[in-house]
Amino acid sequence: MKQYQLSTGEKKFIGSHLLVAILALAVGSLFGPLQAFEHAGWDFYPYLKPFIKSYYQGLTVHGVLNALVWTTFFIMGFLTFNVIFGLKRPLKNPTLNKVGFWLMVVGVVSAAIPILANEATVLFTFYPPLKANWAFYLGLTLVVVGSWVEGWGLFMTYAAWRKENANERTPFIAFGSLVTALLWQICTLGVAVEILTMLLPWSLGLIEGVDPQLARTYFWFTGHPLVYFWLLPAYISWYAMLPKQAGNGKMFSDTLARLAFWIFLVLSTPLGLHHQYVDPGVSPVWKFIHSMLTFGVFFPSMMTAFTVVASLEHAGRKQGGRGALAWIGKLNWSDPSVAAQLLAGILFFFGGIGGLANASYNVNLVLHNTAFIPGHFHLTVATGVTLSFIGISYWLLPYLTGKKLWKPKWAVAQAWIWFVGMIIFSNSMHVLGLLGAPRRVPLGLAPYVPAEWNSRLFQVGVGGAILFVSGLLYLTVMLMTALNKETVKEEVEVPVAEAMQDPALSPVWLDRWAPWIYGALALVVIVYGPQLFDLIKNMALTSPGFRVW
Amino acid sequence: MAKKDKEDDEFRPSGTIAVLTIFVITLIAIWATIYMILVRQGGTL
Repeated sequence: MKQYQLSTGEKKFIGSHLLVAILALAVGSLFGPLQAFEHAGWDFYPYLKPFIKSYYQGLTVHGVLNALVWTTFFIMGFLTFNVIFGLKRPLKNPTLNKVGFWLMVVGVVSAAIPILANEATVLFTFYPPLKANWAFYLGLTLVVVGSWVEGWGLFMTYAAWRKENANERTPFIAFGSLVTALLWQICTLGVAVEILTMLLPWSLGLIEGVDPQLARTYFWFTGHPLVYFWLLPAYISWYAMLPKQAGNGKMFSDTLARLAFWIFLVLSTPLGLHHQYVDPGVSPVWKFIHSMLTFGVFFPSMMTAFTVVASLEHAGRKQGGRGALAWIGKLNWSDPSVAAQLLAGILFFFGGIGGLANASYNVNLVLHNTAFIPGHFHLTVATGVTLSFIGISYWLLPYLTGKKLWKPKWAVAQAWIWFVGMIIFSNSMHVLGLLGAPRRVPLGLAPYVPAEWNSRLFQVGVGGAILFVSGLLYLTVMLMTALNKETVKEEVEVPVAEAMQDPALSPVWLDRWAPWIYGALALVVIVYGPQLFDLIKNMALTSPGFRVW
Repeated sequence: MAKKDKEDDEFRPSGTIAVLTIFVITLIAIWATIYMILVRQGGTL
């Protein structure tokens, strides 16, 4: 059966997201290895003056471009593709989506100028009382608002599809994408309020000071579900695309997959206080409740692990795999898209384990401000998510451009190099954290570094160098693919795996939106309401801004 | 509509159970190791 055709305009629109995302990754990734090299004692920052003035400016560029811009643009492009392809219909109002996209682009430019001018060296968490130029906050606001507008365009498209298909189950890739867009609309309310009511007026001189505790609480309202905004698009691919690519496998359970997405929607926002265990202004009772809800997310995570691995096992056995584990070797490892996503998944398992350690109150109190945390999130966002997105781009770019992927074997090598580099980098960071090395510190300059850290700091540098090679290789493959004169003979097949059981047999309540949305909002109000009420009631806008760079 | 094959009916994800069992054992081992390291250091860094 011939697959649904996207128009050239739609492909260009999705490709524009990919272009901005990859440009952001390219610039942001230049600075990642510089942090790692600095830790190893190879400080290149003095050579970058006057363009980049400090370690912290480089860290801000790295964090903002890689954690916020690369992810958000890639995700919005991928969600748009999934909704159009999944629902087999064009966007209801493409102009609205274009407005959203351009708002995001203007936002990125607005935030980038003060960052590059060293006027917003506040890291990607932009905690006050560090004070950036107003254009930085305005830029972030525009990125978020633009992504909302794009999300509205996707919801309108879904509403139009639903009108025409009243009794159909929402195709899974569209369903997962819409849940992700909805999660984003709910969770970004935190940073929206933080910026619009405090940071932006403060940076414009309209108010004298800020309340850092309230600002941090708003930030983490968004900050943890942001992780699921990053992860769910990767999960969509792992659930519904990877099994097909890995060996013509089927999705093991459409029902479990949908249920997991709904639970992520409900549980991912009301748990942000587990990032604030060490904050004195937050009640221990709410910290405890948020920690329990954090462990609650372990359940949809395990449902995801079970369904994805079972779907991959189905693929492996179809390719002749036998035994308890030997089927893994039969998966289509020679496909760069598959290799990248499987390797991302393997390291993500360990990222999940570290996440449970972070979520444990007593362990977190000791580890919170150590190198353990960046070690952890380089396994999750910088590998589970980023390496998966890289894998997706290995089929998505040829699909969008009609160009053959340039040197697929190099692309496979790129994924393995990333895997090896990240093991060395991340393992060293975790161990350094356990040894007490602080995070957000140029350790290469620190006079208090004990001898037992030295070998690990060296490994951080080695891991960073290997990751740098992998990043360069990825950018080369992408660039050469875009410039490739060799075109694909037939349109690239979009890898969508069938479900083993007809999705029409999934319970109808898994395709009803209202109860889950009300449930998610109610839980947010119950679990965040009292804490926020208390903080707002006692709000003290007294802290002046600091510029420590 | 998805086609339901006989082999799909017979598919039992035994390998998945093996993978997840290894994962859970690894999780417990790593968590306990982290905890013991921190306790050995006196609960502070």
